[in-house]
Amino acid sequence: MAAQLFFNGLVTGLLLALPALALTLVFGVLKFANFAVGAMLTLGAYAAWVANVQLGMPLTASAAVAAVTVAGAGLLADQLAFEKLRLRGSISLLVASMGVSLVIENVCRFFFGNASRGFDVALSRPIRWEGLRINQEQITIAITVAVCLVAVDVLLRFTPLGRAMRAVADNASLAAVRGVERRAIARLTWALVGALLGLAGVLAGLDRSIDPLIGWNYQIAIFAAAILGGLGSPIGAVLGALTIGVAEEMSALVIPTNYRQVVSFAVILALLLFRANGLLGAKAARK
Amino acid sequence: MIAYLVTIAILVCVAALVGLALNLQWGQAGLVNFGVVGFVAIGAYATALLAPQIGWLPAMLVAGAASAILSAGLALLSIRLEENYLAIVTIGFGEVVRLVILNEGWLTNGALGIPDIPRPFAALGRTIGGDTVFIVFALALVAVVFVLLEAMARSPFGRVLRAIRDDATVTAALGKNVFALRVRAFAVGGAVMGIAGALHAFYLTYIDPSQFTPIVTAYAFMAVIAGGRGSNVGLLIGACSIMALLEGTRFLKDFVTVIDGVQLSALRLGLIGAGIVALLILRPQGLAPEPKRRAADLLPTEKGGV
Repeated sequence: MAAQLFFNGLVTGLLLALPALALTLVFGVLKFANFAVGAMLTLGAYAAWVANVQLGMPLTASAAVAAVTVAGAGLLADQLAFEKLRLRGSISLLVASMGVSLVIENVCRFFFGNASRGFDVALSRPIRWEGLRINQEQITIAITVAVCLVAVDVLLRFTPLGRAMRAVADNASLAAVRGVERRAIARLTWALVGALLGLAGVLAGLDRSIDPLIGWNYQIAIFAAAILGGLGSPIGAVLGALTIGVAEEMSALVIPTNYRQVVSFAVILALLLFRANGLLGAKAARK
Repeated sequence: MIAYLVTIAILVCVAALVGLALNLQWGQAGLVNFGVVGFVAIGAYATALLAPQIGWLPAMLVAGAASAILSAGLALLSIRLEENYLAIVTIGFGEVVRLVILNEGWLTNGALGIPDIPRPFAALGRTIGGDTVFIVFALALVAVVFVLLEAMARSPFGRVLRAIRDDATVTAALGKNVFALRVRAFAVGGAVMGIAGALHAFYLTYIDPSQFTPIVTAYAFMAVIAGGRGSNVGLLIGACSIMALLEGTRFLKDFVTVIDGVQLSALRLGLIGAGIVALLILRPQGLAPEPKRRAADLLPTEKGGV
């Protein structure tokens, strides 16, 4: 029982890793907490659903559609909203991202209604291994996330774009002096973040049914994961996501499952009180 | 038709109260509160549970006090946090309140909600029309809260809150206890949100968790941004225009047949989101900007007249 919950928690954690990474990247490069992560994830799930169910494309191709769609939405939001508010400070950006979140969520609701949807995938028997029940979806989630994480890691560490992103995150003015254009880096960050959230949406849609609140339901856990790892730290976000995933699933042993989200909230609160910079250290969280 | 206008007017009153509270917390003191709906829900539930037992006025006061205490508690834990973190803690608080209300059925009746909440002046309402009495009550409540908050904004307390918002370090250097002042501002805002929840419960006479979604929070932010952060008069204008516009669109349902109810509500909520972004970009100072109060205005003039 405990082993199964731990395993489920690791998979949930991997699922959270992509949006947590997306949140932390935006925070690092653009310096605000993007409250639209959940809504962008929802958009990804619906984009893939349209491609998969309505257009009959295979799920892999649908995932690509989702990634491109949400990347486009991220770029559009940046162009229309965030870019114009960049100099107004993080409160304005924060509140604006809440507005963007409402717009995206309700665009989905407008076109698809409140009904629950699911991908057109063949049902498959769970694999039994060492007493664990492993679903096909869980394997898909684990492999996809692992590939994405390696790709983002390589991108951040070894490519000129990754170097530029890290430079802007460290010190935007200094980066500008060295010829790194913040505008271009912001756009590329949104494209990358959008792609990650699009894929996360597809994986979330595999894990549970798709409705307009699918992303919102992950929101607190995503923030808990990113804060746990230290906002702005990509590796921290992944470790934080795994921890939160396991903590949420394992909490079923001691508290009613209805209160799973409270675990994330408690983690956030405890962490901010006792170790405000996150496990791996980040920008000061206190005023 | 008249009943419909009354409904809009009272929803505007509730929104105005919530907005006034957020305007104190965010507009004047600079503290982001994304958990507005949680405090409104606490006020509404406290009222619903207590009003049948102890009468409407004590219930409403307890609602305000309960919300204020929880506000102060949350503020004590989190108000030192940088705004991005404060935002997430408050949003998490709102979600926790929702979960508790949904799951603690022994107290809140879970998803079924609480019916038969008594209205204030119900006896008087039976003789001269319940809606008339209630609308006067709602308007009076807004007026009282407005006068109190406006007096507070002009008082030394309001002044120091704005000083903290504009530069906390300088204010602290002047010997002000920034932490305690922020907690107090948050608590007062919480009290007003609790009272707004009470008004909501009184009007509907039935509450359930589905009435308390993050949309309440979004409405409040929209009203504050539209009115002008820090300006109470602006807030009232903002709350009235936004709510009248948004609730007015409910009318469309009777005329527009192309889109259904879900789509209409999606459209309305999407417009709030777009409105928040557009106002932030195009008119950050709001419809009625915060009045600039100069030191000279506070001093007595020498020749009796400016």
